[in-house]
Amino acid sequence: MMAGRTFGNKLALAFGLTLGLTVLIAATSVAALGFVVHSNNLVIASATDDLVGAQRLSTLMESRMSDFRAFMINKQQNFLDQSEASRAAFVAQIAKLRSTLVDRRSRALLDQVSAAEAQHYALLAPVIEKRKTFTDRNLISTVGSPAVGTARQAVQDGVAALVKQVGAAVEAARNRSAARAVQAVVVIIGLGSAAVACGAWTAWRLTRDLRREVGTAVGHIQSSSAQLESAAAQQAAGGRDQSGAMSEITTTISELLITSRQIAESAQRVSQIAEDTAEAARSGDATIEQTRASIAAIRTQVDQIVQHMLALGEKSQQIGGVADLVSELAEQTNILAINATIEASGAGEWGRRFAVVAEEIRKLADRTAGSAKEIRTLIEDVRGAVNTTVMATEIGAKAVDAGSRQFDDATDSFRRIGQLVATTNDATREIELSTKQQTSAVEQVNVAASDTARVSRETEASAVQTKQTAAHLSNLSGELLELVGTGRR
Amino acid sequence: MRAAPEVSVARRIELLRTDFDGSFAEPARRHAAEHVELLAVRAGGRPYALRLSQTAGLHPDRPVTPLPSPLAALLGLAGFAGTVVPVFDLAALLGHPIAARPRWLVVAAGTPPLAFAFHDLDGHVRVTASAIVDEPDGGPGGGGLRGLVGLPGGARPIVDVPAARSVVHALAGHQHTREEEDRR
Repeated sequence: MMAGRTFGNKLALAFGLTLGLTVLIAATSVAALGFVVHSNNLVIASATDDLVGAQRLSTLMESRMSDFRAFMINKQQNFLDQSEASRAAFVAQIAKLRSTLVDRRSRALLDQVSAAEAQHYALLAPVIEKRKTFTDRNLISTVGSPAVGTARQAVQDGVAALVKQVGAAVEAARNRSAARAVQAVVVIIGLGSAAVACGAWTAWRLTRDLRREVGTAVGHIQSSSAQLESAAAQQAAGGRDQSGAMSEITTTISELLITSRQIAESAQRVSQIAEDTAEAARSGDATIEQTRASIAAIRTQVDQIVQHMLALGEKSQQIGGVADLVSELAEQTNILAINATIEASGAGEWGRRFAVVAEEIRKLADRTAGSAKEIRTLIEDVRGAVNTTVMATEIGAKAVDAGSRQFDDATDSFRRIGQLVATTNDATREIELSTKQQTSAVEQVNVAASDTARVSRETEASAVQTKQTAAHLSNLSGELLELVGTGRR
Repeated sequence: MRAAPEVSVARRIELLRTDFDGSFAEPARRHAAEHVELLAVRAGGRPYALRLSQTAGLHPDRPVTPLPSPLAALLGLAGFAGTVVPVFDLAALLGHPIAARPRWLVVAAGTPPLAFAFHDLDGHVRVTASAIVDEPDGGPGGGGLRGLVGLPGGARPIVDVPAARSVVHALAGHQHTREEEDRR
């Protein structure tokens, strides 16, 4: 029930429980006192109303009988009236008692008294009528009868019995009231004992919880204090190291600052060089255009060379055809010369002279054929040379094309180089600007590092102070444990 | 590189012109009797020589009309100046025919008219009589060959045209008459 509650809650709960029990005891005491008072009131009422009422019956009976005797003696009507009044009061008293009496036996006795009185009243009525008829007092004894006396005695005995019975009932009620008072005292004593036991239990529980929880908490505080102490010691050592490191950092940052300034100067020089390079690249563009025009002219010239070479080959072919024609003519001339020789051999002396001419013609034809053959060889050489030249020229044209393409690539590369140089220039300027910003930032960092070094020294001092405070707290925790009673150090 | 052949050609033209002009100044001359005119020919891929004096004419690329005949050497008939002449393959007559068609025809002197076909003409040469080794009875192979001649390209067997004619006649079963022999 108490688990998971704070100690304050437990304390409040215990006080609440004790307060509740106290209130309960008070209420019970009040109730018991009221009960006892009520019982006594009943006893008193019974004693005053019933007993006094019963005794008043006797008094009223006696008063009536006195008035009756006075009437009987004096024959005066007022005594009779008083007697009648007393009788009426008697009857009223009986009715009153009937309403208040609760005891059955008393009520039975009351009924008996009422019946005896009624019988007595009935026996007195003829006596009264007879007394009214005479005036002589000596005659009084004549009108009386023993029955009347017996009835009166019965009434008086009944009243006496009633008084006795009512008195016994009052005694019984008094005894019951006393018993109830004893019961109330016993209940109050029991509740008081329970309250004392509950208070003792609560105090024991509270003491135990206080010892346990506060002890545990103080133990935690003590161990935390020890940890805090060691942490503070580490922090102090770390603060010293940090302070030393910050000094080194400050030195390094100073060197970095110098380096940043050098970088800024170098970036400025690089920017200048990049500017010069961009200028050179722009002047190179004009040269590239001139070279491109030269390459185009070379290409045109090469094409013309190829055309001329092809025309030369064609002409060589035609020359070869003419040479073949000459060759054919030489062969036919040779054949004619041979046939002329054959003819001449059968023509005698003139024939022989003609044969000499024919031989000369044949020799010329042979020479012509040889020359034609030589021409043919030369033409073949020319054609081979033309073919070789055409192939070489075409290879050259292809080489020029490839060179042109490569030159285009080179031009593109050159332009890209120009763009990259421009980009480099921009980047270098950005580097220069950034380096300047970096330099100012490094200066700020230097200031911040100095501040950090100072803060580190302060941290070290405060860590030492924290360590001392933690040790003090640890001692206080031990004292608190002894105070609580756990006694753990 | 180009100048040397040009000089050479100009020099050759000069020499040629000088020789040609000089030939008109020389006295008229005749061929010595000890010289023999020969045709250097090639039949069936083999070199031979023909005596020009035994021929009546040389013709290239003359159309030959084929003639059905049991003789393998008879190529057909060809026309020369209005005369129909039988044409025999010289290579086949000499015993080593080849499939190639002969280009040249040489008309044999004498009657009946007869032409021999051969494949290539190497030229017309003039040799001294001493350069010829004569064999009046024919060589060991017999047939139409009579003697050898030494030429710059090597020694060549000389095809004797009358002997070749005799071989043709023998193949055709034709007998020589005395008149024909005399006319030869």
